[in-house]
Amino acid sequence: MRQENGRNLRGIILFPVLIAVLFVSLLFVISKGSTDISLSVVYGILNDQVLHGGRELKEGLWGRADYQIIWNIRLPRVLFGILCGAGLGLCGAVMQALVLNPIADPYILGISSGASSGAACALLLPIPFFGGQYQTTIMAMVGALISSALVYFMAKFAGGGKLHPVTLLLSGTAINAVMSAVTGFLIFIAKSSESIAAVYNWQMGSLAAAQWSTLTIPALGVLLGLVVCILQSGNLNLMMMGDEDAAALGLSVKHVRAGMFIVCSVIVASLVSVTGIIGFVGLVVPHVVRLMIRSSNNKLVIPLSSLSGAIYLMWADSLARSAFRAAELPIGIITAFVGAPFFLFLMIRKNYGVRA
Amino acid sequence: MKIEYKDVSVSVGRNRIVHGVNLTAESGIITGIIGPNGCGKSTLLKTTLGLNSMDEGDILLDGRSVTGLNNKQLAKRYGYVGQDNSCTFDFTAYEIVSMAVPIRGRMSKRAEQEIVLNSLEQLGISHLKDRNIQSLSGGERKLVFISRAFAQGVDTIILDEPTNHLDIKHQLYILDILKQSKKTILIVLHDLRLAAHYCDTLYLMKQGNVVCGGRPSEVLQKKRVKQVFGVEGFALELEDGALDFHLKMN
Repeated sequence: MRQENGRNLRGIILFPVLIAVLFVSLLFVISKGSTDISLSVVYGILNDQVLHGGRELKEGLWGRADYQIIWNIRLPRVLFGILCGAGLGLCGAVMQALVLNPIADPYILGISSGASSGAACALLLPIPFFGGQYQTTIMAMVGALISSALVYFMAKFAGGGKLHPVTLLLSGTAINAVMSAVTGFLIFIAKSSESIAAVYNWQMGSLAAAQWSTLTIPALGVLLGLVVCILQSGNLNLMMMGDEDAAALGLSVKHVRAGMFIVCSVIVASLVSVTGIIGFVGLVVPHVVRLMIRSSNNKLVIPLSSLSGAIYLMWADSLARSAFRAAELPIGIITAFVGAPFFLFLMIRKNYGVRA
Repeated sequence: MKIEYKDVSVSVGRNRIVHGVNLTAESGIITGIIGPNGCGKSTLLKTTLGLNSMDEGDILLDGRSVTGLNNKQLAKRYGYVGQDNSCTFDFTAYEIVSMAVPIRGRMSKRAEQEIVLNSLEQLGISHLKDRNIQSLSGGERKLVFISRAFAQGVDTIILDEPTNHLDIKHQLYILDILKQSKKTILIVLHDLRLAAHYCDTLYLMKQGNVVCGGRPSEVLQKKRVKQVFGVEGFALELEDGALDFHLKMN
């Protein structure tokens, strides 16, 4: 299947296919867990809630217990997985365009290490100002935003007022190192081994915090971000040609890079502060999409990366919940463990990078 | 469109690279800039794009200053083909050329397609349209990027050493197309034979200054070539009236 006049048939076909896979996966993933529920019940309850406002449930057609598990426990978690996967896939594709580097991922902005430091502060230090279940999330969010602001201003300072791809990458790497050192130091001085274990667990990611009440903000953030990135996809294509070419084609490189940096920072920080670090999605998913459609055209890569990221994380979380019946596996382990070999397989099969 | 550089000085970091350059690229002809490596040719061209800011002086487009014009407004006035035509990502030649079209304003898919295909046709590379840019040779890539400048719909194109690293056939092919296009061309060249033959006006730069400008036969005189490049060479007129450059080699 070839491309003709910029029309990418693979990409066009992939859209309906991935949307179908997303819906089928959603049903399947919800049906699996500590108690397996049949697909027809899952479909029936979701259909009843979405289209009939729960009328059939009131009539007693569906069991209350099944409803509780499907609608109030598993669906919010699966939807949160979809949002996280979509957000990370999307931001991965955008970051790779912004820093002109195919091995960049959303965490290059310093977000992951900043969030880790924040979470470590909350889990290891006796913070007197506030407490409660959102303490870790709030501190992680603060850490992530401080860290990405540092990366932004360091890169701008080093670049003489301009955000160059290389200085952005280097300051990201440096701030990541500093923030990791902060986390390491906090772990070193910590006394309770339980708290240390909690930090390690947090760093490996989990979607367990998902509830209906916590879905609104990530949903708004990811959907708005997706719209902005799709609208900017033509400009991101220009960015991929290098700053000089992008400017020559009329793009205000400085503004687009700064604006997209902020959009990605906010999306990723809002997700990571709730989930912990889920690695490899933002790096691998855009590549897999590019390999599948054999093009880097962001008009296709951005929406397809969101869809693929959503599907990938949904399955990874399903595996995390069910791989070891008794304990839940951190999702970050699965995304890397499955993602990396799959990526290598694709890379070898398609002879990636040696076509020139 | 006529481009005039009036006493333009440019610094990169703390170093002043271009010192009060005066240079005019007249409408509809090829104006060449020659000079040794590091003499400020590329810096001057990038200043035209707004990539470097001027310390002093002004650039006039048909008599009007570029000051205050943003990248979009500049891209509506001239195209640019840089030295580096590498691309890390996967785009087809068609996709790369089509990136220039939005600058012309909103249009239908069909109109966009017509512009892209025409631009590819003008450069004789229609057969490459669906090929990945990374699979093309250096010469083919250069043609794609020139085709993109054509797709911008501008009558002025600025090119920074477009013939570098290309085989002789591609070098002549590119310069022939630029000559026939009747566009205003401002071009940096290293090959003095090509500069002598194809440029209508030539400027010779050294250490950030324009040493002289005028017809190639006037600029490429033995004394000046020796002074600027440190080699023995001069322009000579052939029997058919065309200009060639003779370089004495040991």
